[in-house]
Amino acid sequence: MPELPELNPVIHGKLRLALLSLLAGVEEAEFTWLRAKTGSTDGNLGAQLMKLEEAGYVAVEKKFVQRKPQTIYRMTDGGREALQEYVQALKQLLGAAI
Amino acid sequence: MSSNDEEMDLKERLDLMQKMIAEGRRKQESWGWTFVLWGIAYYIAFFWAWLGNFVYAWPITMLAAGILTFIGFARPRRRSPETTMGRAIASIWIATGSSMFILFDAMGFGMHLADARVFFAAASAMIGLANAACSLTLRWKAEFICAIVWWAAAVIACFGNLVTAIAAFLAAIFLCQIVFGAYMMVLESRQRRQVASHA
Repeated sequence: MPELPELNPVIHGKLRLALLSLLAGVEEAEFTWLRAKTGSTDGNLGAQLMKLEEAGYVAVEKKFVQRKPQTIYRMTDGGREALQEYVQALKQLLGAAI
Repeated sequence: MSSNDEEMDLKERLDLMQKMIAEGRRKQESWGWTFVLWGIAYYIAFFWAWLGNFVYAWPITMLAAGILTFIGFARPRRRSPETTMGRAIASIWIATGSSMFILFDAMGFGMHLADARVFFAAASAMIGLANAACSLTLRWKAEFICAIVWWAAAVIACFGNLVTAIAAFLAAIFLCQIVFGAYMMVLESRQRRQVASHA
Protein backbone atom coordinates (compact mmCIF):
# COMPACT_ATOMS: atom_id res chain seq x y z
CA MET A 1 0.00 0.00 0.00
CA PRO A 2 1.50 3.40 -0.97
CA GLU A 3 2.39 5.74 1.89
CA LEU A 4 -0.13 8.53 2.39
CA PRO A 5 1.23 12.08 2.08
CA GLU A 6 1.31 14.51 5.00
CA LEU A 7 -0.49 17.81 4.71
CA ASN A 8 1.66 20.94 5.00
CA PRO A 9 0.76 22.30 8.48
CA VAL A 10 1.46 25.92 7.49
CA ILE A 11 -1.15 25.74 4.74
CA HIS A 12 -3.59 23.45 6.54
CA GLY A 13 -4.89 26.16 8.91
CA LYS A 14 -8.32 27.25 7.64
CA LEU A 15 -7.63 30.98 7.49
CA ARG A 16 -4.15 30.50 5.98
CA LEU A 17 -5.61 28.15 3.38
CA ALA A 18 -8.33 30.69 2.57
CA LEU A 19 -5.73 33.46 2.25
CA LEU A 20 -3.48 31.48 -0.08
CA SER A 21 -6.48 30.44 -2.19
CA LEU A 22 -7.59 34.06 -2.47
CA LEU A 23 -4.11 35.22 -3.42
CA ALA A 24 -3.87 32.44 -6.02
CA GLY A 25 -6.60 34.15 -8.07
CA VAL A 26 -5.20 37.70 -8.05
CA GLU A 27 -1.95 39.46 -8.86
CA GLU A 28 -1.81 41.16 -5.46
CA ALA A 29 -4.26 42.16 -2.77
CA GLU A 30 -4.59 44.74 -0.06
CA PHE A 31 -4.92 43.80 3.61
CA THR A 32 -8.40 45.38 3.76
CA TRP A 33 -9.60 43.32 0.77
CA LEU A 34 -8.34 40.10 2.35
CA ARG A 35 -10.05 41.06 5.61
CA ALA A 36 -13.36 41.69 3.81
CA LYS A 37 -13.21 38.41 1.90
CA THR A 38 -12.30 36.26 4.90
CA GLY A 39 -14.35 38.13 7.50
CA SER A 40 -11.41 37.86 9.88
CA THR A 41 -10.28 40.31 12.56
CA ASP A 42 -7.24 42.54 12.00
CA GLY A 43 -5.19 40.77 14.67
CA ASN A 44 -5.86 37.23 13.53
CA LEU A 45 -5.43 38.12 9.87
CA GLY A 46 -2.12 39.88 10.55
CA ALA A 47 -0.82 36.92 12.57
CA GLN A 48 -1.74 34.36 9.91
CA LEU A 49 -0.29 36.47 7.11
CA MET A 50 2.94 36.78 9.10
CA LYS A 51 3.14 32.98 9.36
CA LEU A 52 2.70 32.70 5.60
CA GLU A 53 5.32 35.39 5.08
CA GLU A 54 7.79 33.62 7.40
CA ALA A 55 7.27 30.41 5.41
CA GLY A 56 8.07 32.35 2.23
CA TYR A 57 4.62 31.76 0.76
CA VAL A 58 3.57 35.41 0.52
CA ALA A 59 5.52 38.62 -0.06
CA VAL A 60 4.48 41.86 1.58
CA GLU A 61 4.94 45.43 0.41
CA LYS A 62 4.10 48.47 2.51
CA LYS A 63 3.58 51.84 0.89
CA PHE A 64 1.74 55.13 1.22
CA VAL A 65 -0.96 56.04 -1.28
CA GLN A 66 -2.27 59.58 -0.88
CA ARG A 67 -0.75 59.68 2.62
CA LYS A 68 -2.61 56.54 3.67
CA PRO A 69 -0.65 53.39 4.54
CA GLN A 70 -1.32 50.42 2.33
CA THR A 71 -0.15 46.84 2.85
CA ILE A 72 -0.08 44.75 -0.28
CA TYR A 73 0.31 40.97 -0.30
CA ARG A 74 1.17 38.73 -3.21
CA MET A 75 1.75 35.02 -3.48
CA THR A 76 5.33 33.94 -4.14
CA ASP A 77 6.39 31.16 -6.52
CA GLY A 78 7.18 29.06 -3.46
CA GLY A 79 3.66 29.67 -2.13
CA ARG A 80 2.09 28.64 -5.43
CA GLU A 81 4.18 25.46 -5.49
CA ALA A 82 3.32 24.64 -1.88
CA LEU A 83 -0.39 25.16 -2.53
CA GLN A 84 -0.24 22.85 -5.56
CA GLU A 85 1.51 20.18 -3.50
CA TYR A 86 -1.08 20.62 -0.76
CA VAL A 87 -3.93 20.13 -3.24
CA GLN A 88 -2.27 16.99 -4.61
CA ALA A 89 -1.82 15.60 -1.11
CA LEU A 90 -5.41 16.48 -0.21
CA LYS A 91 -6.74 14.70 -3.31
CA GLN A 92 -4.60 11.66 -2.56
CA LEU A 93 -5.87 11.50 1.00
CA LEU A 94 -9.48 11.91 -0.10
CA GLY A 95 -8.95 9.24 -2.74
CA ALA A 96 -7.58 6.87 -0.14
CA ALA A 97 -10.50 7.58 2.19
CA ILE A 98 -13.15 6.67 -0.40
CA MET B 1 -11.09 12.13 15.29
CA SER B 2 -12.73 9.23 13.40
CA SER B 3 -11.78 8.56 9.76
CA ASN B 4 -15.22 9.82 8.73
CA ASP B 5 -14.65 13.12 10.55
CA GLU B 6 -11.22 13.40 8.98
CA GLU B 7 -12.67 12.88 5.52
CA MET B 8 -15.31 15.55 6.20
CA ASP B 9 -12.59 17.92 7.37
CA LEU B 10 -10.54 17.35 4.20
CA LYS B 11 -13.57 17.87 1.98
CA GLU B 12 -14.33 21.07 3.88
CA ARG B 13 -10.79 22.27 3.15
CA LEU B 14 -11.21 21.50 -0.54
CA ASP B 15 -14.56 23.36 -0.65
CA LEU B 16 -13.01 26.32 1.15
CA MET B 17 -10.22 26.51 -1.42
CA GLN B 18 -12.62 26.35 -4.35
CA LYS B 19 -14.82 29.06 -2.83
CA MET B 20 -11.89 31.38 -2.11
CA ILE B 21 -10.25 30.92 -5.52
CA ALA B 22 -13.59 31.73 -7.18
CA GLU B 23 -13.99 34.74 -4.88
CA GLY B 24 -10.53 36.03 -5.78
CA ARG B 25 -11.17 35.65 -9.48
CA ARG B 26 -14.58 37.30 -9.33
CA LYS B 27 -14.63 40.15 -11.84
CA GLN B 28 -13.48 43.29 -10.05
CA GLU B 29 -13.04 45.81 -12.81
CA SER B 30 -15.66 48.14 -14.27
CA TRP B 31 -15.30 48.49 -18.01
CA GLY B 32 -18.81 49.49 -19.17
CA TRP B 33 -18.27 53.22 -18.65
CA THR B 34 -15.15 53.16 -20.85
CA PHE B 35 -17.18 51.76 -23.76
CA VAL B 36 -19.75 54.54 -23.39
CA LEU B 37 -17.04 57.20 -22.97
CA TRP B 38 -15.17 56.08 -26.10
CA GLY B 39 -18.43 55.80 -28.04
CA ILE B 40 -19.22 59.43 -27.21
CA ALA B 41 -15.62 60.39 -28.06
CA TYR B 42 -15.91 58.72 -31.49
CA TYR B 43 -19.11 60.68 -32.18
CA ILE B 44 -17.51 63.98 -31.08
CA ALA B 45 -14.44 63.32 -33.23
CA PHE B 46 -16.56 62.30 -36.18
CA PHE B 47 -18.81 65.36 -36.13
CA TRP B 48 -15.89 67.71 -35.39
CA ALA B 49 -14.07 66.26 -38.41
CA TRP B 50 -17.27 66.56 -40.45
CA LEU B 51 -17.35 70.29 -39.61
CA GLY B 52 -14.00 70.59 -41.41
CA ASN B 53 -11.17 69.77 -39.02
CA PHE B 54 -10.37 66.21 -40.14
CA VAL B 55 -6.64 66.30 -39.28
CA TYR B 56 -6.88 67.49 -35.65
CA ALA B 57 -10.38 66.36 -34.59
CA TRP B 58 -9.53 62.67 -34.18
CA PRO B 59 -6.10 62.92 -32.45
CA ILE B 60 -7.26 65.62 -30.02
CA THR B 61 -10.52 63.84 -29.11
CA MET B 62 -8.80 60.43 -28.78
CA LEU B 63 -6.09 61.93 -26.58
CA ALA B 64 -8.72 63.59 -24.38
CA ALA B 65 -10.67 60.30 -24.12
CA GLY B 66 -7.42 58.48 -23.22
CA ILE B 67 -6.69 61.00 -20.45
CA LEU B 68 -10.28 60.72 -19.11
CA THR B 69 -10.02 56.91 -19.11
CA PHE B 70 -6.73 57.09 -17.20
CA ILE B 71 -8.25 59.50 -14.66
CA GLY B 72 -11.32 57.26 -14.32
CA PHE B 73 -9.21 54.22 -13.46
CA ALA B 74 -6.80 56.15 -11.25
CA ARG B 75 -9.40 57.99 -9.18
CA PRO B 76 -9.21 57.24 -5.47
CA ARG B 77 -11.55 54.45 -4.47
CA ARG B 78 -11.39 51.29 -2.49
CA ARG B 79 -8.68 49.37 -4.27
CA SER B 80 -9.72 46.03 -5.70
CA PRO B 81 -6.93 43.64 -6.57
CA GLU B 82 -5.69 43.34 -10.10
CA THR B 83 -6.31 39.99 -11.73
CA THR B 84 -4.31 38.47 -14.57
CA MET B 85 -7.48 38.54 -16.66
CA GLY B 86 -8.02 42.25 -15.96
CA ARG B 87 -4.42 43.01 -16.95
CA ALA B 88 -4.84 41.00 -20.17
CA ILE B 89 -7.98 42.94 -21.13
CA ALA B 90 -6.39 46.30 -20.33
CA SER B 91 -3.31 45.32 -22.37
CA ILE B 92 -5.43 44.45 -25.43
CA TRP B 93 -7.15 47.85 -25.38
CA ILE B 94 -4.00 49.86 -24.63
CA ALA B 95 -2.12 48.12 -27.47
CA THR B 96 -5.01 48.55 -29.92
CA GLY B 97 -5.58 52.19 -28.95
CA SER B 98 -1.88 53.03 -29.26
CA SER B 99 -1.63 51.32 -32.67
CA MET B 100 -4.68 53.21 -33.94
CA PHE B 101 -3.41 56.52 -32.58
CA ILE B 102 0.01 56.11 -34.20
CA LEU B 103 -1.27 54.73 -37.51
CA PHE B 104 -4.06 57.23 -38.12
CA ASP B 105 -2.02 60.24 -37.01
CA ALA B 106 0.80 59.20 -39.33
CA MET B 107 -1.64 58.57 -42.17
CA GLY B 108 -3.46 61.86 -41.54
CA PHE B 109 -0.39 64.05 -41.27
CA GLY B 110 1.24 62.16 -44.16
CA MET B 111 -1.83 63.01 -46.28
CA HIS B 112 -2.68 59.36 -46.91
CA LEU B 113 -6.27 59.56 -45.74
CA ALA B 114 -7.74 61.15 -48.86
CA ASP B 115 -10.35 58.39 -49.03
CA ALA B 116 -12.10 58.42 -45.64
CA ARG B 117 -13.36 54.88 -46.30
CA VAL B 118 -9.80 53.61 -45.71
CA PHE B 119 -9.93 55.17 -42.25
CA PHE B 120 -13.38 53.73 -41.45
CA ALA B 121 -12.39 50.26 -42.69
CA ALA B 122 -9.08 50.14 -40.81
CA ALA B 123 -10.51 51.64 -37.59
CA SER B 124 -13.49 49.25 -37.60
CA ALA B 125 -11.27 46.23 -38.25
CA MET B 126 -8.91 47.17 -35.40
CA ILE B 127 -11.70 47.77 -32.90
CA GLY B 128 -13.23 44.48 -34.04
CA LEU B 129 -9.91 42.77 -33.38
CA ALA B 130 -9.75 44.13 -29.81
CA ASN B 131 -13.36 43.08 -29.11
CA ALA B 132 -12.71 39.59 -30.51
CA ALA B 133 -9.51 39.17 -28.48
CA CYS B 134 -11.34 40.25 -25.29
CA SER B 135 -14.32 37.99 -25.96
CA LEU B 136 -12.05 34.98 -26.55
CA THR B 137 -10.05 35.78 -23.40
CA LEU B 138 -13.20 36.21 -21.30
CA ARG B 139 -15.13 33.48 -23.17
CA TRP B 140 -17.92 36.06 -23.55
CA LYS B 141 -20.10 35.57 -26.63
CA ALA B 142 -21.85 38.96 -26.35
CA GLU B 143 -18.59 40.79 -27.00
CA PHE B 144 -17.85 38.58 -29.99
CA ILE B 145 -21.11 39.82 -31.55
CA CYS B 146 -19.65 43.34 -31.23
CA ALA B 147 -16.51 42.16 -33.04
CA ILE B 148 -18.67 40.80 -35.86
CA VAL B 149 -20.56 44.12 -36.11
CA TRP B 150 -17.25 46.03 -36.32
CA TRP B 151 -15.87 43.66 -38.95
CA ALA B 152 -19.09 44.05 -40.93
CA ALA B 153 -18.63 47.84 -40.79
CA ALA B 154 -15.07 47.36 -42.09
CA VAL B 155 -16.26 45.26 -45.03
CA ILE B 156 -19.07 47.72 -45.83
CA ALA B 157 -16.51 50.57 -45.86
CA CYS B 158 -14.46 48.64 -48.43
CA PHE B 159 -17.31 47.85 -50.80
CA GLY B 160 -19.90 50.60 -50.24
CA ASN B 161 -19.84 54.29 -51.06
CA LEU B 162 -18.82 56.94 -48.53
CA VAL B 163 -22.36 57.51 -47.21
CA THR B 164 -22.83 53.77 -46.59
CA ALA B 165 -19.41 53.54 -44.93
CA ILE B 166 -20.28 56.44 -42.61
CA ALA B 167 -23.70 54.95 -41.77
CA ALA B 168 -22.13 51.57 -40.95
CA PHE B 169 -19.43 53.18 -38.79
CA LEU B 170 -21.91 55.31 -36.83
CA ALA B 171 -24.24 52.32 -36.36
CA ALA B 172 -21.34 50.17 -35.09
CA ILE B 173 -20.40 52.90 -32.58
CA PHE B 174 -23.98 53.09 -31.34
CA LEU B 175 -24.46 49.32 -31.00
CA CYS B 176 -21.01 48.22 -29.84
CA GLN B 177 -19.98 51.20 -27.70
CA ILE B 178 -23.07 52.96 -26.37
CA VAL B 179 -25.60 50.10 -26.17
CA PHE B 180 -23.04 47.41 -25.27
CA GLY B 181 -21.36 49.74 -22.73
CA ALA B 182 -24.70 50.49 -21.07
CA TYR B 183 -25.47 46.74 -20.98
CA MET B 184 -22.08 46.09 -19.33
CA MET B 185 -22.75 48.81 -16.76
CA VAL B 186 -26.06 47.16 -15.84
CA LEU B 187 -24.34 43.75 -15.48
CA GLU B 188 -21.52 45.24 -13.38
CA SER B 189 -23.95 47.07 -11.13
CA ARG B 190 -25.90 43.81 -10.58
CA GLN B 191 -22.66 41.99 -9.79
CA ARG B 192 -21.61 44.67 -7.29
CA ARG B 193 -25.00 44.39 -5.54
CA GLN B 194 -24.60 40.60 -5.37
CA VAL B 195 -21.11 40.93 -3.86
CA ALA B 196 -22.38 43.48 -1.34
CA SER B 197 -25.24 41.21 -0.30
CA HIS B 198 -22.84 38.28 0.20
CA ALA B 199 -20.25 40.33 2.08
